Amino acid sequence: MNSRQRVLAALNRQPVDRTPVCNPTSVATVELMDLVDAPFPNANREPERMARLAATSYTELGFDSIMPVFSIIQESSALGCKIQWEQKDNWPTVRMREPIWQTADDIRVPDDFLDHPDTRCVTEAIRLLRREYGNEVAIIGKTMGPWSLGYHCFGVEPFLLLSLDNPGQTKLCLDRMKEATIRFGLAQIEAGADALTLPDHATGDLVSAQYYARYLRDLHIEFAERLKVPIILHICGRTVDRMPYIAETGMAAFHYDSKNGPEESMAICRDRVALVGNINNPETLFSKGPEAVRAEVVRNLEAGVNLVGPECAIPLQTAIENLKEIPRAVRDWHNDRARIN
Amino acid sequence: MPELHDIANEFIRQEIDEFIERPDERARIIGLFAKASEQMQAIAAALIDGDHETVDRLTAEAIAAGVHAMEVMDDGLIAGMAIVGIKFRQNFIFVPEVLSCARAMKAGMVHIEPILSAAGIEKLGKVIMGTVKGDLHDIGKNLCIMMLRGAGFEVIDLGVDTSQDRFIDAIEEHGANILGMSALLTTTMPNMGKTIEAFIDAGLRDDIRIMVGGAPVTQDFADEMGADGYGKDALACVSLAKQFAGKA
Repeated sequence: MNSRQRVLAALNRQPVDRTPVCNPTSVATVELMDLVDAPFPNANREPERMARLAATSYTELGFDSIMPVFSIIQESSALGCKIQWEQKDNWPTVRMREPIWQTADDIRVPDDFLDHPDTRCVTEAIRLLRREYGNEVAIIGKTMGPWSLGYHCFGVEPFLLLSLDNPGQTKLCLDRMKEATIRFGLAQIEAGADALTLPDHATGDLVSAQYYARYLRDLHIEFAERLKVPIILHICGRTVDRMPYIAETGMAAFHYDSKNGPEESMAICRDRVALVGNINNPETLFSKGPEAVRAEVVRNLEAGVNLVGPECAIPLQTAIENLKEIPRAVRDWHNDRARIN
Repeated sequence: MPELHDIANEFIRQEIDEFIERPDERARIIGLFAKASEQMQAIAAALIDGDHETVDRLTAEAIAAGVHAMEVMDDGLIAGMAIVGIKFRQNFIFVPEVLSCARAMKAGMVHIEPILSAAGIEKLGKVIMGTVKGDLHDIGKNLCIMMLRGAGFEVIDLGVDTSQDRFIDAIEEHGANILGMSALLTTTMPNMGKTIEAFIDAGLRDDIRIMVGGAPVTQDFADEMGADGYGKDALACVSLAKQFAGKA
């Protein structure tokens, strides 16, 4: 199997020759930016640099996937949010203190949404990657879910208060914002994406599992039906309490955080939705060495997690050696198993 | 020792019965409300319910009736937030509910703050708070600030996206000896460590106590960075600040 076949098979919970190493979110680092001369903020705004930096996950780190959307702000920029683009050592962020919408009536997904430079950058980068790497590696796009877009466009605090004060209006907002999710997702599929990450930050650090069921489960079912590639739902934080709902959505996979144990997560998700994750970023990949990384990889493999990778976008100063240890540990574990058998 | 039935307000009794599980906390909360007047219990109940209009009205009425502003703050607003904080920590409620309670607390504080500042009551200490560089999230930080102010601290809020230099300048300018840093993103958490290093380089590290918090931050990460304390939530933040100020 090549990398692409391996990732796609695992996302469909089919047999694989070895567990794929997958990055549904960014593995860009400052070291990698220097290596290929593709620093932030240019790598978030220029298709060639975006593609070049993204490809390092495959060419330098040995992962089985390439994911060119390093941030979570491309479509928010196209919707009109003010963006702080930052520099090489920092992430672009939406200025959520300056929300663009207050009510559902304000929501407009512009007709030229997909022609905006910051959305077109992503589709162009995917085209370049597909041209360069053909069918040898899985190319994963990213389209933000409406809950996350709500934080960006309404501000986190106003959006969360709205969800409590006026559930009907909140549902209407989500329903209108989903158009951005679907249009951007379809454009990336058309450009050549094999799968899509769909971050929708209804995290346990912010809202209850009942919130997920009330506001997002049906929308996520709709995304899984309308975006006809494997969808990897990404929600940070503690999410075990909402995994039973997520498993009902038809999403191919769930990208899960290290706040959830691999064993307890597999117990819920097995046979219903593939799991991707969950190597800890701040304490392990950023702060510790390869040995600690290896231990977390092995724990995921032992639990039967379908695709292994970092839990979320990694800190930009993460050491490359720690990232390379993930595929190395996966191969060693499979080789050891083959020898024993 | 006061018992649950010593509390007049039925809603407060139900809240304690249903949500306050730890015996030490239960005893402390029952003690808090058993000594509070029915009027203060009603303010606390409205706050716990996230009803900012009622808190606004009841607080204004209490002040107009001559109840001391400190009593309204301690026995009404802070006592209510104590239950909210425990429910949040135990995952009985989440951020939207806490935000609505915070909105109710702010509605009450509007009547109280001018009276307390005019009275010149001595503060427990001075705290500099900010979200680290590259991070524009501030809900958690704002909740901590509200609780710190309510507990009697003077707080200087540096807002979001705070550079190391701004933290250092603020400590020097305001003569504060407690610093609180917040981060929501795993990608910006390392900036807490960089800020601590900047304080070491500036020769100021020994003059201040540093506390950190934010959804992805853990005690291990705080220890690794060399912070003096980690707070999981706003209640823990207040407790750390009191400890640092020698007022625990």
